[in-house]
Amino acid sequence: MASAELTPDAARRPLAGRRLRVGDLSLQLVAGTAAALATVLVGLIAWKVIDGARPALSHYGLGFVTRIAWNPDSRHELYGAGSFLFGTAVTSLLALLIAAPLALGIALYLTELAPRFLRAPVTALVETLAAIPSVVIGFWGILVLGPALRDHVEPALHSALGFIPLFGTPSQTGSSIFTAIIVLAIMILPIVSSISRELFLGVPRELKEGALALGTTRWEMVRGVVFPYARGGIVAALILGLGRAIGEAIAVTQVIGGGVFIHWNLFDGGDTLGSKIAASYQGATTKLQLGSLIYLALVLLVFSLVINAAAQWIVRRVARRQGTGLNRGGVG
Amino acid sequence: MPKSGNFIRTIALLSLAAVLAIVAAGTAGATPAKKSGTTLSGAGSSFVAPLVAQWMAPIGSAYGYELQYNPIGSGGGVAAVTARSVDFGASDAPLTADQFSACKGCVQIPWALSATSIIYNLDGVKNLLHMDGPTLAKIYSGQITQWDDAAIKALNKSVNLPSTKIATVHRSDNSGTTYNFTDYLQTVSPAWKTQYGRGVAVNWPSGTGSRGSAGVAATVSQTPGGIGYVDVAYALKNHLKFFSMKNRSGKFATPGLKGILAAATSDQKPESTTNELSIVNPPKKYPLAYPISTYTYVIVPTSSPKAADLRKFLFWAVTKGQAFGPKLLFQPIPKPVLVVAEKTIAKIKS
Repeated sequence: MASAELTPDAARRPLAGRRLRVGDLSLQLVAGTAAALATVLVGLIAWKVIDGARPALSHYGLGFVTRIAWNPDSRHELYGAGSFLFGTAVTSLLALLIAAPLALGIALYLTELAPRFLRAPVTALVETLAAIPSVVIGFWGILVLGPALRDHVEPALHSALGFIPLFGTPSQTGSSIFTAIIVLAIMILPIVSSISRELFLGVPRELKEGALALGTTRWEMVRGVVFPYARGGIVAALILGLGRAIGEAIAVTQVIGGGVFIHWNLFDGGDTLGSKIAASYQGATTKLQLGSLIYLALVLLVFSLVINAAAQWIVRRVARRQGTGLNRGGVG
Repeated sequence: MPKSGNFIRTIALLSLAAVLAIVAAGTAGATPAKKSGTTLSGAGSSFVAPLVAQWMAPIGSAYGYELQYNPIGSGGGVAAVTARSVDFGASDAPLTADQFSACKGCVQIPWALSATSIIYNLDGVKNLLHMDGPTLAKIYSGQITQWDDAAIKALNKSVNLPSTKIATVHRSDNSGTTYNFTDYLQTVSPAWKTQYGRGVAVNWPSGTGSRGSAGVAATVSQTPGGIGYVDVAYALKNHLKFFSMKNRSGKFATPGLKGILAAATSDQKPESTTNELSIVNPPKKYPLAYPISTYTYVIVPTSSPKAADLRKFLFWAVTKGQAFGPKLLFQPIPKPVLVVAEKTIAKIKS
C-alpha cells in the first residue's frame, strides 16, 4: 500500500542502476546461510534419529508404534510406544484445553480491560513464568502442586464427577497424569498469552472504536472485532503452545508418576514420549533398548510433524475465512 | 531508518562479541590444563559423589591433580566414559555385556562400599520399623497394600500400625540404587526373580516413579504411607525414617558401617573378568549383615592418554582414599577386594 505513492518503475530502476549492491548481497548471504543452516540441522537430526533407531526399527518394524510394553528385563526384553504416545496426546491436548481460555483471558485483560498502570508489570510477570527452568517447575510440582491437587482438587472432582472414568480414585502420591497436565498448562500459558497479547495490540484502533461507536458492548466488540481479526494468529499461538507441551520432558518426568498402561483415570500415573526418553536415555543397558528409546524420539518427531502440518492447514483455512469473518464483525 | 540501523548494528556487535567470548573461553580453558597439574575428570554415580568430593583436596596436595566429578547418575557415567568425554566413569550397577562391548576395552573396579536404605513415611510410628525381604517384595509387586497387613504386623508386634494404604515409590530414571534394590528382591523372592528380575530399571508392576534420589525422597516425604529406597547417606542427611532389615540369620540390621562390613565379608572374590561382586542377602553365618549392601564401581578405559596419572589416583582412592569413607557411611573395602582392584588398576596403559 505504501508504495502506491511512487510508481513501481520510479521506485526500483534508479536504485538498481546506480548503487553497488553490497548491502543486498550481504543480506542475501547472511539470511541465506541462516536458512540453509537450519534446514541442514533439521535434516541431520532426522537422519541421526533414524540411524540411531535402526536396531529397534529392523527388530520391531511398525508394530512398535502401537505396542503397549516397556520391559527392560534382558531375559524378556520388549518395547513399544503405545502407552507413551497415548500419554503424550492426552497430556498435551488437555493442557492446551486448560491453558487456552486462561491465556486468551490474560491477553484480553492486559490489552482491553486492565487499568493502564497494571499492564506493564503484569505482562512482565506473566512472561517471567516462561523463563522458569522446567526442572524447577517440576520440583515445585512434586513438593507443592502435586500434594495440593491430591488433597483438595482430585477428591472434589472425584466426588462430583466420579461417574466419568477420567475422574477416578485420587492419587496417593500426588504424581499423576493430572498433575502433569496442570504443570504443562502452566508452562504453555505465558507462550500463548504473550503472543495473543501482541496480536490483540495489533488490532487497528479505528476498528475497535468504530464498533464501540456503533453501540456495541465491550464483549461484543471483542467477539466481533478483536477475535476475528486475530483468529489466524491465535490458532498459530495455540499450536506453538501445543508443540511445547508435546515436547516437554523433564518437568513431566518429575510429576507424571510413570507406568506402562493405557487407562482413563487422570489421577493415575503414566508417561509421555518425552518423559520416557528423558528418564531412560542415560544408561540404557542394551542396544535394543537404546534403539527403542531413539525410536521413541522418531515417533515424537513424526507426531510433532503431523500436528504441525495439521495446524498449518487449520491456520490457512482460518485465514481464508478471516476476511469474511472480519467483514461480518465490522458490519454486525 | 537510523533506529533500525542501530538495532542491526547492536545485534551484529553482540553476536560478534559472543563468538569472540566463545573462542576466548575455548583457548583459556585449554591453556591452564597444560600449565598446572593434570586434570582428572569423572562423571556418574551420585551415590559415590560425596566420597569423591572428600578426595578432591587431599589428591590435589598429594599429587597436584585437579579432580573433577560430575554426579549425573550411574547411567550417565557409563555413557560418558564410553564416549571418552571423561577420564573415568562411576556406576553403582556393574556394566552389562552390551555396555562392556560398547565401552571398548574398559575395566571396572570396585572402589567404594555402602548400602541402600528403605525409607518410609508413616505418621506416629517410630523409626527403624522391622521389615523382611519377602514382605518387601510383596509390597513392591502390589500384593500387600496396607500398613496393617498381617505380614507387617507379624514383624512389628509391639507397634500399633494404622490401616493407611501403602504407596511404593521407585526411580523412574536408570539407577544403580534400583539395581541394588532389585538385586536384593530377586534373591529373597523367587516370584520377583521370574517376573521382574533385576536391573537399573525394571518393569514395575505398580507404584509411582520419581526422578533421582531427590525425587524419590521428595515424593515419599509428601506421601503419607509412602515407601521408597535411597542410598543410606542420603536418608541420614535428610532425616528420613528407614527400616531395620531382617537378614538370613533372623536378626534385624540397620544400614550402618557394621552391617555393611559384615555383608561385605560374605563375598570377597570379584568375578574374574568383570570384577562384579554381589553382597545382597548374605548367608546365615553373618548375623550382623545388612542385606541390601552394595559395591560401587569406577569404570576406566585400559588405554588412556593419562594412564600413569589415572593409575596413581585410583591406587590412592582404593587405599588412602578409603579412610574418608566411614563418616559418610562408606565402609573401606576389604583386603582381598583391594588386591583385585590393584591388579586391575595396573592394567591401565597409555
